Amino acid sequence: MGGVAVLAGGLSSIAQSAGPTKEVRLVAGPGRARVVPSPHPETAIWAYNGTAPGPEIRVRQGERLRVAVENRLQEETTIHWHGVRVPNAMDGVPHLTQKPIAPGESFTYEFTVPDAGTYWYHPHQRSLEQVERGLCGALVVEEPEPLQVDRDVTWVLDDWRLLKDASISGDFGNRMDAGMSGRIGNTVTVNGRVRETFGVRAGERIRLRLVNAANARIFGLEFEGHRVQIVALDGQPVEPHAPEGGRIVLGPAMRADLVIDMTGAPGARFRVMDTFYQDLEYRLLDLAYADAPLRERPLEAPLALPGNPLPEPDVGAAARHEVTFDGGMMSGMMGGMMQGMGRGHVWAVNGVSASGHVMDPMFALPQGQSCILALHNNTAWHHPIHLHGHSCRVISRNGEPTRHREWQDTVLMAPRERAEIAFVADNPGDWMLHCHILEHQAAGMMGVIRVEPPGTRT
Amino acid sequence: MQGLLSATHDARKDTQMLRLISALGLLLMAIAGANAAEPARKATLYKSPQCSCCEEYAKYLRGNGFEVKVVATHDLALIRRDNGVPTAVEGCHTMLLGDRVIEGHVPVSAINLLLEKHPQVRGISLPGMPQGSPGMTGRKTAPFTIYSFGDGSHKVFATD
Ligand SMILES: [Cu+2]
Repeated sequence: MGGVAVLAGGLSSIAQSAGPTKEVRLVAGPGRARVVPSPHPETAIWAYNGTAPGPEIRVRQGERLRVAVENRLQEETTIHWHGVRVPNAMDGVPHLTQKPIAPGESFTYEFTVPDAGTYWYHPHQRSLEQVERGLCGALVVEEPEPLQVDRDVTWVLDDWRLLKDASISGDFGNRMDAGMSGRIGNTVTVNGRVRETFGVRAGERIRLRLVNAANARIFGLEFEGHRVQIVALDGQPVEPHAPEGGRIVLGPAMRADLVIDMTGAPGARFRVMDTFYQDLEYRLLDLAYADAPLRERPLEAPLALPGNPLPEPDVGAAARHEVTFDGGMMSGMMGGMMQGMGRGHVWAVNGVSASGHVMDPMFALPQGQSCILALHNNTAWHHPIHLHGHSCRVISRNGEPTRHREWQDTVLMAPRERAEIAFVADNPGDWMLHCHILEHQAAGMMGVIRVEPPGTRT
Repeated sequence: MQGLLSATHDARKDTQMLRLISALGLLLMAIAGANAAEPARKATLYKSPQCSCCEEYAKYLRGNGFEVKVVATHDLALIRRDNGVPTAVEGCHTMLLGDRVIEGHVPVSAINLLLEKHPQVRGISLPGMPQGSPGMTGRKTAPFTIYSFGDGSHKVFATD
């Protein structure tokens, strides 16, 4: 048991950069926010530096980031840098990679950001409540040469389960939420507020960074009247392409970078719809065109982003491991369901329902080994499966090669779906592999894989 | 935008509307309390948009003379709370039948028993999603225990 000894240096090829250091201070504590417009009251939240989402952290690729975190909550916390290939000790997983930060205490995270792109940060300690109450924020790593756009905008998408007095419903860990789709809220916010409009100008080109910070809600966004190009997924560049069916689907914790040319007329309005859940489609907000155009016709600059320094997995020589996900309502396990649910264990990874972050690894990989994980969702529910410390190419779904072989750190799996993901296990340590529907994670849907540096095999 | 507390969203998906309905349910209970001679047969079933067995349950009820409107919602937890369903006996969907609450895959025999013989009982539940229950696949392996609830507590109502 316990973590492997981690060699200093971590990602040897990319962590050695001696660029400038960006200093950030984050204070996690109670706050108040105007989630819903007046005359409704403000909402008591948990916040980084008083706001939800917390401050957007922006660094340049290859820079060092040093974040001093002070915990003013009444409970332990940590911060996980979702999608960033950090050294294991900076990964923010309680007890597995660090001692959680006690109330009143501080901890400093420090690492080099190897990849440009859109990432985010959030607690990994009791995240089903801490993230839901507002602890989350965007982390944007800028390319040395940014895409040529008129505006670079981040939308942190989130939802909240609010009562009539605009307070957050306290029913965390509700077992029907746990056994079904997770805690999906009734109030959807963009950057912390319910919004009516987002102002744009005719001829404008916007890079829109979407971050799904919701516990459980899957978004399926459609930009009516606009041709949207996806240029990055989970921070990693992808061949620019239109979303399938015109809809950008983002499971919890996933990100997408879009480029949208504002081709509408001055003064026009277009709806941005979320159509993911049938019969519960709704308008997220309107794109509202200003009366004065920015320019006659949009920019024609190229959309492709430069690649990140990711090691390419050797699929032919890869070690292959099967990972199965079971459980939940409407599964074959229904007979024992209620019994299992009584203990709070509803989901399992390779037959094990986790009760904490520290556990024996499902398997170990020698550092540098190419690996294919064959993921099997044997359940009747969607699951965004997140691997820490690495980005993975999604190489197939249900046996069919994927068109874009996209790099992801969070792979959304439909009910009964299979997917193969490939990566080089180049980052030593014990890493979580878990569902990012936080209620599923808390109800057992997590496991650990180990990447062993040379000389540590037992 | 979708906001529970916002006045501008689409009424079709209006969660406030659900609250109105449940408030109305309470009102009806207060007024019509003992009038069980003509049991209500019109029901509204609230379900997760991603749960398919609830539709099957609605079909089962329709086959037994009920009129059932199915409404997808993300607010099941709040609807349960507003209608007094204890967390210990939660099923996978919640149905309002006049002033009564039917939670989960409750067999019609138990609903009829509730309507005909127990005018004071707020609602009944078959917790979880037991195999072989109405609307569920699989084979029934043991009798179902149906619970009644009303004042925050629950007790055995019937076995089936
Ligand atoms: Cu899940």
